[in-house]
Amino acid sequence: MSSLQSDSLKGADAGERTVGTCYGFAIRSSLDFLFLRAEDGEAETLRVTAPSTPPDGDAGELIQQWRPAPDLPFEGSLYRDGTRFQFQTAQSRWFFIDVDGPSVTLPEDPNTVRREERLWGIPAILCFLARGDLQLHAAALEIEGEAIVIGAPRTHGKTTLAATFHNAGFRLLNEDVTCICDLSAPHIVPGPAVLRLRRDTAERLEIRNVTEVGQRDDRVHFAIDPALRGDCRPLPLKALLLLRESAEGYRLDRAAPADAVRDLWPLSFNLPDPRDRARCFAALTDLTRTTPVWNLYRPFRLEDLPGAVNFVVEHV
Amino acid sequence: MSALTPESKVRQNDQVVARELSPAEGGVLLHLESAQYHGVNPVGLLIWELLDGERTVSEVIDAVRDRVQDPPPQLDDDVMQFLTDVRERHLVVVK
Repeated sequence: MSSLQSDSLKGADAGERTVGTCYGFAIRSSLDFLFLRAEDGEAETLRVTAPSTPPDGDAGELIQQWRPAPDLPFEGSLYRDGTRFQFQTAQSRWFFIDVDGPSVTLPEDPNTVRREERLWGIPAILCFLARGDLQLHAAALEIEGEAIVIGAPRTHGKTTLAATFHNAGFRLLNEDVTCICDLSAPHIVPGPAVLRLRRDTAERLEIRNVTEVGQRDDRVHFAIDPALRGDCRPLPLKALLLLRESAEGYRLDRAAPADAVRDLWPLSFNLPDPRDRARCFAALTDLTRTTPVWNLYRPFRLEDLPGAVNFVVEHV
Repeated sequence: MSALTPESKVRQNDQVVARELSPAEGGVLLHLESAQYHGVNPVGLLIWELLDGERTVSEVIDAVRDRVQDPPPQLDDDVMQFLTDVRERHLVVVK
């Protein structure tokens, strides 16, 4: 496809350097970023350049569309041509992704926070899926050198609980998109050091060790202090938690593997083709064989969040 | 849709993948086009594995009976019900 921008970006930009890591990639770019982690010396390179321009012809095969919904005002279209993808967001901003490289070209966007957050969504996911990793719509935290994943549908309190872990001094590995590698012995790869919360929730939780970098979609966006981010080296996965509501008290029930696959499947992202769906499904079933999946029942109240953190640390 | 009879031959839909979770848990089936997920118990997974398109339903029932400890008296009905369910979900093809 002649319109793909990555063809013209094989040469290095002036000022291009390794600026940090995310999802196990060493980010090589002349741009500035807010949410990267420290270098670890072993990561594969992901080149990030800008600006892209809208395609002047065929954008490729349309493989997925996201329509805005009341609880998720996100809009986008994903096109594919072989290993190259074009991802169009609202206001016709185009991301060009070549997973065979890999590289991403960003659109012009006066809101660079939004642009970077979008980069760590679909474009980055496509790159780590091509690496053979698994994606889950979930948060992840480090507890004593191991990772705990917290999965739940949107608006079920996963980010709020993750923020409470952060406030309690635990390292936030992923806020919303979790990357899982080495499925035979699963590990979590840290993603962007970002935290997005409703403002009233953020004020009540008194989020510490962060810098406010923006506000959008009814949420305030924070960058976690660099000193707390660590690098992108994968951490062994200890357990997956699926959030459930209880009227009172905390409880952990081990989920049967079939139920775990059923509940995790909608939280995973895969390309809408049989091969990638089969790969993702196999990865999920492997994951439930090797890793305990727990239903975490807890009250749906802010004042009970510290108790939930203590309960998880003590019992998982 | 033709009726499912003891002489019918049933095969797995090529667009479905199956994964065993454990001998005690059974397995899971995924329809790759619809992305619909289905859990099956160990006997369901055994039936699934027998659906090669060569055996008749009657032969599948006999094979299940041979492989299951203490098969229940209503085994024929159970197998027929399972096959009806998976057929309605487009997980199998009836010849």
